[in-house]
Amino acid sequence: MKKLIYIFLINIFITNYSSALIEVDITRGNLDPLPIAVSPLHVDIKSEKYKEINVKELGEKISGIIEKNFKNTGLFNPLKKDAFVQKPDIAHVKPRFEDWRLIKAQALVTGKLLISGDKLKVEFRLWDLAAAQEMTALAFTTTPSNWRRVAHIISDKIYERLTGEEGYFDTRIIYVAESGPKTQRVKKLAIMDQDGFNTKYLTLGNELVLTPRFNPTNQMVTYMSYFRNMPRVYLLDIETGTQEVVGNFPGMTFAPRFSPDGKKIIMSFAKDGNSDIFTMDLETRLVERITEHSSIDTSPSFSPDGKFIAFNSDRSGLQQIYVMRSDGSNVKRITFGKGIYGTPVWSPRGDLIAFTKMHKGRFYIGVMRTDGTGERLLTENYYQEAPSWSPNGRVLVFYRETKSGSKGEGFSAKLWSIDITGYNERRLSTKTDASDPSWSSLLTK
Amino acid sequence: MIRSLIYSLTFHSVMILLTVLSLPFMIREPVELPPIVSVELIQISDKTMIPYAPKARKIIEDTKKKEVEKRVVSEQAPPSAKAKEKPDRIPLPNKKEEEKKIIKKKQNPEEIKPQIRQSSEFEKKEVVDTNQIAALIDKAKQIEATEKKDSKKITQSNQKNSFATGLTLSEEDALRAQIFGCWSVPLGLPYDQNLLVRIKLELKQDGTILNSEILDHERMNRPGQKFYKVLAESALRAVRMCQPLKVPPTGYDKWKDLQLNFNPEEMLKG
Amino acid sequence: MTLKSNLKNILLVIFTTLLFSACSTAKKSADIEGDVYTGKETVEYLAAGVPDRVFFATNKSSLTTASRATLRKQATFLRKNKNLNVVIEGHADERGTREYNLALGERRANAARDYLMTYGISGKRLSVISYGKEKPVNPKSSPISWSQNRRSVTVKVN
Repeated sequence: MKKLIYIFLINIFITNYSSALIEVDITRGNLDPLPIAVSPLHVDIKSEKYKEINVKELGEKISGIIEKNFKNTGLFNPLKKDAFVQKPDIAHVKPRFEDWRLIKAQALVTGKLLISGDKLKVEFRLWDLAAAQEMTALAFTTTPSNWRRVAHIISDKIYERLTGEEGYFDTRIIYVAESGPKTQRVKKLAIMDQDGFNTKYLTLGNELVLTPRFNPTNQMVTYMSYFRNMPRVYLLDIETGTQEVVGNFPGMTFAPRFSPDGKKIIMSFAKDGNSDIFTMDLETRLVERITEHSSIDTSPSFSPDGKFIAFNSDRSGLQQIYVMRSDGSNVKRITFGKGIYGTPVWSPRGDLIAFTKMHKGRFYIGVMRTDGTGERLLTENYYQEAPSWSPNGRVLVFYRETKSGSKGEGFSAKLWSIDITGYNERRLSTKTDASDPSWSSLLTK
Repeated sequence: MIRSLIYSLTFHSVMILLTVLSLPFMIREPVELPPIVSVELIQISDKTMIPYAPKARKIIEDTKKKEVEKRVVSEQAPPSAKAKEKPDRIPLPNKKEEEKKIIKKKQNPEEIKPQIRQSSEFEKKEVVDTNQIAALIDKAKQIEATEKKDSKKITQSNQKNSFATGLTLSEEDALRAQIFGCWSVPLGLPYDQNLLVRIKLELKQDGTILNSEILDHERMNRPGQKFYKVLAESALRAVRMCQPLKVPPTGYDKWKDLQLNFNPEEMLKG
Repeated sequence: MTLKSNLKNILLVIFTTLLFSACSTAKKSADIEGDVYTGKETVEYLAAGVPDRVFFATNKSSLTTASRATLRKQATFLRKNKNLNVVIEGHADERGTREYNLALGERRANAARDYLMTYGISGKRLSVISYGKEKPVNPKSSPISWSQNRRSVTVKVN
């Protein structure tokens, strides 16, 4: 036995000396946000003003938006501009890498813009300061009034280059804008840029509207409206403003969502005290029943490949989350934890399902794998629900209702977001109270 | 109101008496059973559901703390040795040493300084500077040497490891700790993919890098390997920002070729 | 040893008395039986002695004995007023997801409607609408207000 060990040891000795290469495993690192410098875009001035836009300030405004986007991700730490060692005119030359490293930046964004005629031309570069290399460089042309989107598109490209996943900045959020006392809430459909700018209202607030959701191309929205006291699922074309009732159901339809190809709407239909899940094909108008059960089946959500549907049902007595094939077969319960579960939403990556959980009078937003394992609760509060995924599957937006007192005073509803890591919880700025958010996909790919 | 109060008081006191009398029998039996923990277990499972990242951060903070502790120990040892060596050259040795300590503590940002000149490929390497750096490094080596002596005593049981790696565990730890500090891990990475990045380094005797090569570099440009590319780039940045690497003062032949395996899995999973 | 067990006893006694006292106060201060509101606050009347609403337990749509009595009164009232049509509104409290509560409200309203139909009221006269948690009658956040909001309300149409 001893001999064996000796031989073994000698073997190790020999093999290692013959290969000779020392290996060191690095399994830990710095988890602080990446320090990045965003230099204001250099502005080639032909005219001081273009319509309402002050051209001179545009470079700084755009870099300001990029910085804010990065800061909000929690992954980057945009450095303060007063520490910058070079002026915006570096857009024309290679930056002095050593100098930028002195302020501890690891990456640098430079760029320039020019308004000529009715066109805004933008160019930007991303530099790896440690390697003294250009990581990416892009140029594009758009209309000057689009300048905020220019900032978001640049943010997306840089984010993608530095994290390896798509960004989510050039996106919009549709939600329900709320006002008035809780017993007489006025609700309107509203749409805004992901950063809270460019808010527009799509309905007037004459009737109750709920749960708007984008289609995959972001041009259509399906939502629920109490128009003429007939609670039904509607379809709205954002560009033209035209609306129509989805299907001809003899009762309430609700909880609508698009299929991943955008061709169908899946929703619940309630009749005689029983809610089941149906789909309607928007082209053929064909209605198909998906579930048939005497319990409440609602909150359906397709998997991104369209093969499965997650939904909420109380067939076991209390609300739990179930998954079935898209034809309604092979129904499986996936939640067995303490408490009750609702609003399953399949992630765009397809690997996770976000949900709302209620347990001992508290509300949680969480994620789990699609078979119900690996449940992680991300945030806990008095009342919050309705998570919606960012297009890259990294962030969830949801709404939270709070009260300053137990008698219901100081009631407010706001949109919040949180990373699926459970970090970086923050409130989204909205002009009014807000609920039922739905995150669009990237507006430009 | 008063009447009902009296009723309830008498009733309650009767209840109290009854329970006092009867409860001891109830207690005696379960006492021998294992403590009642089932209720708590539920709560624990609830808590463990909460995000995985904080754990990782804690671990890193812990290791950082440990690093700091180590450094404090090692820095307290050298001053006496140094003071003996160079009292005539430096009139105010204490001050200088204090400065050095500060520099050491801020490790990554300040240590970039020498490396800036070395790594910028556009300027030709300045001979004058390398001398200065070499001098600095010599001093650093002295500190490390004492550090290693200290820790060797503790880690003798791990000698096997030195067979396997050619570095003692403490030497390896010093290097590892240095790179931990320089490596800004890309935070958005998925935790369920195999993302091991292996970098082969060719080092100079002073720990600066002659050559660096990512062993699976063709994977970087394969479609669908964006995360790998991002990680590989971050690892390269770490190595560049870290140089000169904290290599042992002796045995250059052993470590002149060095392979670093960057594996974020543990951190991302938590 | 004896000290320890004594202490335990005392603690247990305090605990049990607290339990008892909790029971007694809950019953006195609130008009809740089980989980169902039994009080008169927020209740309106279709006619003298005919309450317009019935209340439900959390996540439930089954009718209590008191609810059935109320609905029988409504049925009698509707039989007397043959030309009257009503809408039955189903509501839920705020402690649930919006979508599930819409379904739950619909189920509650239908529970009331079905009961009225068994007492001979034609289904054509009884339409149903669910508001989920959208129209609370009591905006407060307490078990009492939630129980007042878990309701189905019979509303005259013409």
